[in-house]
Amino acid sequence: MGYIWQGFGNTLVMTLAAVAIGLVLGFVVAVVKIAALNNKWMKIPAFVCNVYTTVIRGTPVALQLFLMVFAILAFPGFKASAAIITFGINSGAYVSENIRAGILSVDKGQMEAGRSLGIPWTQTMVRIIFPQAIKNVIPAIGNEMIALLKDTSIIGMVGATVGTLTFDLNAASGQIALGLGGAYLAPSLIAGCFYLVVVYAIVLVIKIIEGRLRKSDRR
Amino acid sequence: MIAVKNLYKKFDKNMVLSAVSTQVEKGEKVVIIGPSGSGKSTLLRCMNLLEEPTYGEVWVDDQLLTPVDPYLHFDIISLSNTYKKLVASGVSPDEAIVQIKQGDLLKRFEGFEYAAAIKKVRKENGIDINLARRKIGMVFQHFNLFNNKTVIDNMTLAPVLLKLKSKEEAEELAYSLLKRIGLEDKAKVYPSTLSGGQKQRIAIVRALTMTPDYMLFDEPTSALDPEMVGEVLELMKELAESGMTMVIVTHEMGFAREVGTRVVFMADGKIAEEGTPEKIFGDPQSPRLKEFLSKIL
Repeated sequence: MGYIWQGFGNTLVMTLAAVAIGLVLGFVVAVVKIAALNNKWMKIPAFVCNVYTTVIRGTPVALQLFLMVFAILAFPGFKASAAIITFGINSGAYVSENIRAGILSVDKGQMEAGRSLGIPWTQTMVRIIFPQAIKNVIPAIGNEMIALLKDTSIIGMVGATVGTLTFDLNAASGQIALGLGGAYLAPSLIAGCFYLVVVYAIVLVIKIIEGRLRKSDRR
Repeated sequence: MIAVKNLYKKFDKNMVLSAVSTQVEKGEKVVIIGPSGSGKSTLLRCMNLLEEPTYGEVWVDDQLLTPVDPYLHFDIISLSNTYKKLVASGVSPDEAIVQIKQGDLLKRFEGFEYAAAIKKVRKENGIDINLARRKIGMVFQHFNLFNNKTVIDNMTLAPVLLKLKSKEEAEELAYSLLKRIGLEDKAKVYPSTLSGGQKQRIAIVRALTMTPDYMLFDEPTSALDPEMVGEVLELMKELAESGMTMVIVTHEMGFAREVGTRVVFMADGKIAEEGTPEKIFGDPQSPRLKEFLSKIL
């Protein structure tokens, strides 16, 4: 059971760190892509961003994990960080599309109204568009967080766990199973329950945030 | 004065405006009418560059909003490589300019002299679009109040953000404007709770908080329920009487006749006829206008 708690903690930390990276990255990529729609100077950065989302979304996360951990970021003692960065970069690609869709879902007239009053593009974005976009993005972001939480369970594949005792939840259940002589079912079910609890917690938090943000829709 | 010079606007292959030139003098109330798809909204939106024209220039108070259109400057054309080549091959200078204009022969790069000349015109006359828009208010068909802001925040956002007024000054002005339209009790509510007519009247006074010199109206009553059209037109009438320079795209012919000092009739991306309301409605010349009026009146 000690393994499970340790794994639980590691899974949470990993997910939170990766979500943070993913959100920042996703936000930047989304804004660059939107900016490129009417600013020719952003075309090249936008192209880079398109390559990024295409490649990341087009290849399995397991492959990305192997590449990062064993090739690109293969520094000694850097395995866990490399894994977190990988998950962050992976999540960023999906989050960026969610955020982009959210921004595009805001009526074009809102931007036009801001611009027609003489407010520059960036300011209109910050004051008018983002606050409205975020409402539409929150559910999708919650979805992405849940997916990411469970994606982190593949970290056992690169062995960021064995030996150093930095298990994630899934790997921990496997380790226990080994100790039990290969009885995988019970530990896996316990790990599953933990995942379920965390997912439910995420759902609740998202609901609360959504409720707050929707206040201005209808009094 | 808003001056539109030889404006062309292409959406993909579709020519929405072609060779539109007109001027709006201070104090004028210009009403633009015409069948749908005739380019009236596009022309209006070009006046504050919400739509960027493909060719042509827009000038506001002798300042250039658009990029420089070389075809409007003979001296710039005569610096281009194409022109020099034509003249060297024996074409007369006047003929060369005509050929270049008709054939749309200017390329992206026409030599450094030419590029410098364009830069110079832009530098001497150009104005930052955000500065220009401060003096051109705009009212949209779909109101476009900021959904995430209360009415009062909608009205004070721009002047405060752009540091034209202090928060107190802006609020004072906003409240006095709201009072004028009888909606001061709505100051703290969000736009989603308002009726269409209320939204549009607030959109109009929101534009006024920037104390603009010009107001553009893009079919301000087209999205309203019939019983709300009156209150919006009434406010616009008041505004017209206060001396505001206005350009109005509308289907309200009664309003056009009553308030307009000049009526512009557009068809197929061109100005087909323009004149005083009496002339346009009483004595239409072109067959297109006659046909349009017979359908609408």
